Amino acid sequence: MIELTFIDADGESQTIQATPGESVMEAAIRNEVPGIEAACGGALACATCHAYVEEPWYSDVPEKTETEADMLEYGSHVDGRSRLTCQIEVTEALRGAVIRTPIEQG
Amino acid sequence: MLATKNIPDHVPDSAVFDFDIYGDERLGDNLHESYESLHADAPDIFYTPRNGGHWMVTRFDHIADITRDPEHFSVREMQIPRVANPPVFIPLSLDPPDNFPYRHALMPFFAPKSVTAMEPKIRQFAVDIIESIIDKGECDFVEDVSSQFPVSVFMELMGMPLEKLRDFRAVADEYFEARTDEDVANLFGKIVGIMTELIELRRAHPEDDLISRMVQFEIEGRPITLGELQSICSILFLGGMDTVTNVSSYLYRHLAGDPKLQARLAADASIVPKFVEEGLRSFGVVNTPRIVQKDCERFGLKFKTDDMVLCMLPLGGRDNRKNEDPNKFDIDRKRIEHITFSSGPHLCLGHHLARMELRILTEEWVKRIPAFRARPGVKAHSRVGTVMALESLPLEWEGQNDR
Repeated sequence: MIELTFIDADGESQTIQATPGESVMEAAIRNEVPGIEAACGGALACATCHAYVEEPWYSDVPEKTETEADMLEYGSHVDGRSRLTCQIEVTEALRGAVIRTPIEQG
Repeated sequence: MLATKNIPDHVPDSAVFDFDIYGDERLGDNLHESYESLHADAPDIFYTPRNGGHWMVTRFDHIADITRDPEHFSVREMQIPRVANPPVFIPLSLDPPDNFPYRHALMPFFAPKSVTAMEPKIRQFAVDIIESIIDKGECDFVEDVSSQFPVSVFMELMGMPLEKLRDFRAVADEYFEARTDEDVANLFGKIVGIMTELIELRRAHPEDDLISRMVQFEIEGRPITLGELQSICSILFLGGMDTVTNVSSYLYRHLAGDPKLQARLAADASIVPKFVEEGLRSFGVVNTPRIVQKDCERFGLKFKTDDMVLCMLPLGGRDNRKNEDPNKFDIDRKRIEHITFSSGPHLCLGHHLARMELRILTEEWVKRIPAFRARPGVKAHSRVGTVMALESLPLEWEGQNDR
């Protein structure tokens, strides 16, 4: 298992156990992490699993595809650490990662 | 009487339940509440022999699984009963990956940033519509407000001439009422005709609107074709017509009977988003069909190629496994769970726009008409099927003439 810590916009944090091979979004939904909606269920049809991946983990996971980058470009509250969590696979590189959820999804 | 000839061999008796989506006698005045009785009375997933025979899926989690499994459950055919030449709607009736290039070309226009940029205009539409009825002290909310507002917004987005609004609306109503292959084809033809005029107009005289930008779309490196544009416009047209209109009609029917909630909304606009979300949960209006394209076993049942499957999205929000006391309208719920916008690769493209339209309409309505009621003695009548619509909603309030 890989430990991930989610911190919401109010500073509340929750640490969960993710399984290698699932997506960060799937792990968050399974553990009912507030702030991750995933309305489309990981089909790259929305941007409601948006979150900020803190360094050094941001640089350690594979880069965004063009499609993910396009989708984030039109989202709200997006910054340089923004990712769609459905597009990040849980691997060793994420061990101990800190992921912040936005004030609202959309 | 059960039409047993419409029950395939792979459907066990225990999964058969007789239900007519086009007018079952179980469906009453309070449409959504009466529909919810299926959770107690019918199997979670059942097969009805009516309308050519089809599955009905009533629980949130099962609906989520099916809408997220395009490999087995295809969007290729969306008519119940099936028709000979089903219309193709891009991207709605294309399975992944075929829908991706179109969806991704459209998404920026429906993303939060673009939708937020439209807010002042949308607000002005809402204000104009409400101002036009306020002094009368009464209105038919469906005819005067809910069918006008989202459609005006949509026409503006697309660059459609607003003076044609009523004609457009009439064609859409007819289309959703059509049952025969011939009617479906004819009405679809009319819609495509209207769209083609607009596409040609904007090719020649571009404006700052969606159609003008759509004619410049590139799909996998080549220019978009007229046929593709016609198809996309058609589904955006139908999708923009009959969704926000119907949700807001049912939502305001509820609000008309809840003076305490009216007072809360009028006193505190910050609760409007919760009101909208609970409204979306309680009053979904689209049931989304799928056709099985690969035999499979799911939820202990066998699904065979060409079985029609209807996902009852409004019942997903009223699933008591997701929301306690699901028939209670309660904006203070800790979690509001619904699947009104569907899920998976065909999640409603307009979900941000729809939420904003409902929010703005309510913000402007409660400012001007903080207390109102349904005209007494009027029965609610709904048009039911894959799309569900309230036909009229007479409302009254203390207008200028009464003061």
